[in-house]
Amino acid sequence: MTTPAVIEVSGLTKVYRGSGKPAVDQLSFEVHEREIFGLLGPNGAGKSTTLMALCGLLRCDAGSVRVFGLDAARHGDEIRSQIGVAPQDIALFPALTAAENLVYFCRMYGLRRSSIHSNVNHFLEEFGLLDKANMRVQHFSGGMKRRLNLIAALLHHPRMVILDEPTSGVDVQSRNMIVDYMTKLRSDGVTILYSSHLLEEAERICTRFAIIDEGRMIAKGALADMLAASGRNNLEDLFLHLTGRGIRD
Amino acid sequence: MKILATIKKELLLLVRDPGGMALVFIMPLALVVVMAVIQDNTFRQFQETRIDVLLVDEDQDDLGAGIEASFQESGGIRITTREKKGGKALTRDAARKLVQSGDYQAAVIIPVGATATLMGRMDGVVRGLLARGGRDAVETPRAGDAAVRVEILFDPAIKANYRQTLSAAVERMIIGQQAEWLTAAIQEQLADGGGEPPPGIDLSRMIEVAQSDASGKEREGMALNAVQHNVPAWSMFAMFFILFPLAGNFIKEREDGSMLRLRLIAGSQLPVVVGKFLFYAAVCLLQLSLLIASGIYLMPLVGLSRLVIGTNWAGVILTGLAVAMAATGYGLLIAVYFRTPQQALSFGSISVVILAAVGGVWVPVFAMPQIMQSISPYSPLNWGLTAFNDLFLRNASTVDVLPDICKLVCFSGAAIAGSILIHKARTVS
Repeated sequence: MTTPAVIEVSGLTKVYRGSGKPAVDQLSFEVHEREIFGLLGPNGAGKSTTLMALCGLLRCDAGSVRVFGLDAARHGDEIRSQIGVAPQDIALFPALTAAENLVYFCRMYGLRRSSIHSNVNHFLEEFGLLDKANMRVQHFSGGMKRRLNLIAALLHHPRMVILDEPTSGVDVQSRNMIVDYMTKLRSDGVTILYSSHLLEEAERICTRFAIIDEGRMIAKGALADMLAASGRNNLEDLFLHLTGRGIRD
Repeated sequence: MKILATIKKELLLLVRDPGGMALVFIMPLALVVVMAVIQDNTFRQFQETRIDVLLVDEDQDDLGAGIEASFQESGGIRITTREKKGGKALTRDAARKLVQSGDYQAAVIIPVGATATLMGRMDGVVRGLLARGGRDAVETPRAGDAAVRVEILFDPAIKANYRQTLSAAVERMIIGQQAEWLTAAIQEQLADGGGEPPPGIDLSRMIEVAQSDASGKEREGMALNAVQHNVPAWSMFAMFFILFPLAGNFIKEREDGSMLRLRLIAGSQLPVVVGKFLFYAAVCLLQLSLLIASGIYLMPLVGLSRLVIGTNWAGVILTGLAVAMAATGYGLLIAVYFRTPQQALSFGSISVVILAAVGGVWVPVFAMPQIMQSISPYSPLNWGLTAFNDLFLRNASTVDVLPDICKLVCFSGAAIAGSILIHKARTVS
């Protein structure tokens, strides 16, 4: 049974000033509740533009973006209060400790003061960072930073999380933990929009996909359906078939 | 709560950045002390009106004694009549050598017989006046009579105004002396005529020139000196350099993505900006307090004058607050406008140096060329400096400095508004 759509993108088009070419062009897709949806594409395909539009931080030139039934262009703040975003960059303050970073973000999310410390400790424990709570982030390893980056997106218990390259540059153990946690989130009822270049990982966790290239949708749906339609063996094979083998940047 | 959280976060970031702390607190302190020490002599020379003068009294009579007494009473001229070694009375040649060598700025030489010659002439004039009842021509110095030649030797390097001051002082002394002798001669002649001597006539106190400060308030030692100029001036310079940590952190957060994360949190934009603004404005006020305290307590320890800040604390606090707002607003504008730290910090620092120079931080406005004096009132640092000078030197009221405070607040408001417009234009594309 198909769950209700939490993201509805229809004919999304965006042309940045000074660029003759659209960053995204007539993009349409839906993401349903409690699914892990993979938004894939080579560098410069239009993934970041799409994610910014979903968060209400980008004005579209054409089309519409609705999240939780709300128009993203008009209700950006309301939408952002229900989603958590883990950007590709480690968007933390290196001179602050892990706990200080998380407490600060809790306050910015507007969480009650009384619940902040238990909340922070809970997530630090879940991600194996409790004993590093008072260590400055600048001294963290890549994997620890990536886990903390993910925690910062989850502190306010969002209904949906957008994860942009959540396992980039981390060791196998950290990657495994993050992937397991994504699966757990999904089972807890959280919708996940996942963007990555790690196609094997995407194949493992995503229920459906959208593959975009040069701003256009080139394939979407469940992996099995896409593989059957194209006669390819796996996601990477399909991806290269659709986007080509040429270097992009 | 969000604003307080941002203030706490900024505080932790600054405290944990030794370079930033040094830039914000230690460097300005060093700058103020060094600049005050360096400029102290220049300010002293500018304010100092005392001239070191040698007096060679070849006359050894009333004229020489009268001039020496007048010099002694004068606060502006310091005389020396004897050689340092041996204590002998100065000779003309010795005085010339001392002035030539630059040890003294001038020498006044009263020639032999000056008193006798002047008195003789004076006596003749009086006799002539009284004999003819003053109706006909009196006995005047004849063309063949040589004038009494009081000579002043100047150091060629002496300032023109010192030269004029000394010449005028000597002439005034001689005229005063002549008037005294003339009066005495008239009294003497009248007494010789058999009548009762008239009561003493004192011509010296008929006109008095009184000096006081235009502020009309009782202040002492309020002349602009190196400390009074440099402490407020370089404090403001340091406050405007808050753009370094502010713009540096702002751009760093923009580059590393933490600013994007904050944008992705609902309703966090305004508290973040307000929190940053309040924090850095508070840092500016702390800088100002520290530097004023250094002017009061540290400067005297290094041989400089003590900073006097007057009694209008409310005015000082308001002016400090306005300068802090202007500096922080400017820093924010630079941080938002420029895309890289290199661009922001290069432009920011050079622009602050220019604004400071134009505003009278490096050189007081009154010592600038006319064209710069006409440009100076457009610098926010000039508004702050003018307000501080009015408060410190002229004991101005808060109302007096309100126009400058308003200009600073408006500048801050314009900078913040510009920052918000640029930020919005770039982030909601």
